[in-house]
Amino acid sequence: MNPITMNKYKLIIMTDDKQVVLERILQVTRYRGFLINGMTAQVNTGNNIATIELLVSSDRPISLLIDQINKLVDIKSVAVDNSSSQRCSA
Amino acid sequence: MNDSKPLTGGGLLFKILEQHGVEHIFGYPGGAIMPIYDALVDSNVQHFLCRHEQGASFSAVGYARASGKVGVCMATSGPGATNLITGLADALADSIPVVAITGQVPTAAMGSDAFQETDIFGLSLACTKHSFQVTDIADLEKVLHKAFAIALEGRQGPVLVDIPKDIQIAAVEQTFTKVASLKNKVKLPLADITKALDLLTHAKKPILYVGGGVGMANAIDEVRSFAETTGLPSVSTLKGLGALNPDDENYLGMLGMHGTKVANLAVHDCDLLIAVGARFDDRVTGKLDQFAPDAKVIHFDIDTAEINKRRIADAPILGDLKENLPLLTMSLDIQDWQTQVRQMKENCAWRYDHPGERIFAPAVLKEVSDLMPENTCVTTDVGQHQMWAAQHMNFDDPSNFLTSGSMGTMGFGLPAAIGAQISRPHDTVIVVSGDGSIMMNVQELATIKRYQIPVKIILIDNAKLGMVRQWQDLFFDGRLSETDLSDNPDFVMLATSFDIKAKQITQKSEVTAAIKEMLDHDGAYLLQVKIDAKDNVWPLVPPNSANNEMMESA
Repeated sequence: MNPITMNKYKLIIMTDDKQVVLERILQVTRYRGFLINGMTAQVNTGNNIATIELLVSSDRPISLLIDQINKLVDIKSVAVDNSSSQRCSA
Repeated sequence: MNDSKPLTGGGLLFKILEQHGVEHIFGYPGGAIMPIYDALVDSNVQHFLCRHEQGASFSAVGYARASGKVGVCMATSGPGATNLITGLADALADSIPVVAITGQVPTAAMGSDAFQETDIFGLSLACTKHSFQVTDIADLEKVLHKAFAIALEGRQGPVLVDIPKDIQIAAVEQTFTKVASLKNKVKLPLADITKALDLLTHAKKPILYVGGGVGMANAIDEVRSFAETTGLPSVSTLKGLGALNPDDENYLGMLGMHGTKVANLAVHDCDLLIAVGARFDDRVTGKLDQFAPDAKVIHFDIDTAEINKRRIADAPILGDLKENLPLLTMSLDIQDWQTQVRQMKENCAWRYDHPGERIFAPAVLKEVSDLMPENTCVTTDVGQHQMWAAQHMNFDDPSNFLTSGSMGTMGFGLPAAIGAQISRPHDTVIVVSGDGSIMMNVQELATIKRYQIPVKIILIDNAKLGMVRQWQDLFFDGRLSETDLSDNPDFVMLATSFDIKAKQITQKSEVTAAIKEMLDHDGAYLLQVKIDAKDNVWPLVPPNSANNEMMESA
């Protein structure tokens, strides 16, 4: 992967706040070929839904990662925040 | 269960297994799972003691694949749990429903580097579809039901449930939760049927490309009806073998690295590829950008993540094959293409007229295939013998050919056959193995002896790690590195020491009688078939080459 030309994306992930869900997301992200550039996570204690914002970069299409994260059992939704995603040019 | 004893977590486990129809499980006891093994004594579930936890996980995989049920295995914490991992990774890669139960050190000791403590929950992330660690006895029942549901739902896979020792001992009341319907609940929106119909009706040279998803979806009738009505020339992946009728005149056999010449040439030449429960694996495609380079793609799958992963689909159709395949089942006007492909098939037929007296493994496996009883289940290990079995044996159902497809795990065949035989006691079960692979889980011969499991083992023996040796000869200038196994044990003596009848053959003239003797024998049998160490698997698509560039000899 060439970090200069990689696309950067911001993912908004909504998930049930279950055991190791954050580890699962990070493991899938790494395994599928995406670098993690930043992350925020918070849990709504009222409904036990966590919102995770993940900044990632990769040469690979973001749809590949979205589909794989979506397969995780506890995930409710995955969306790309287009306003924050960009393609970096050299 | 003794009514005077209160129900414990361990007892609850077996009640729930019984509720899910589990009759047989595979495992190995140890310190952190002793309360579960204590509860086993009072349960109606029959446990098979394997001689290594990896054997237990592969037997669970074989059981699941042969029967269509969930396979269940269990092991203690630490090394017991880590020994399950290869089997679980294999089940994940081939989408096999397995539930694995592991004992764990007590919750108070977790995280203290306790004796036989390992973070199997963490380790499970990359080798299971999902996993649980139960830290509150109140959660155990719900978690176990969910484990079965997840294993079976959508694209099937392995689920691990890690149960600390104090949870196994804790008193609990079963709420007798009604088991939710476990049928496939996945509803997916993406289905470009109109586009697919347009592509199908306008294609001049379409090919049906069938994978393991057909068997997993129990859609064999639907795919055969589709193949028959459309008259599509068809090819199969390794794991798809058995889904299509091998006697169909339009069926061209396996495609890919060791696929048939006609399958690879027809796919390379086609203008439409209808992928059904297949995922464009690298062993299928060869050089990806030259795979079916002129073809549009209709892709049926249950898993959204497989669509456009390796090949863009012009018409993706997500969801249950049983519902979706009939939507495209129609007659097509492709007679010219059929004629062309059938002619190619005739020109590329296998030949078994091998010169000399040395035994030719493809001919042996062809003869076994012709002589074995109906509904025989064949398992394989991994290597040359595996590819010869895939090429030269015929299967009428994917549940009759169990092979480690995606992971390519040596050591799969013997324990998988044990699981298959236990699930189908009235069917013949044959392991096709090699002299490298058999040693990877050879301790399971003791399981065969203990339970008198009548599996037939055909050991294709070239005293080599044959497939690696073949690649070293072809692609590494013949520099042989660590592929010589000429100091293997005496396999006949080894089998005999486990009360398994065994015989070695070295000449072609011995083959037919030996196969018949093996098949007629009531109990377990090992037939050691000595072959020439220089025999190669052909055809072979070299690495990073297009499938039409296959080699047919050295």
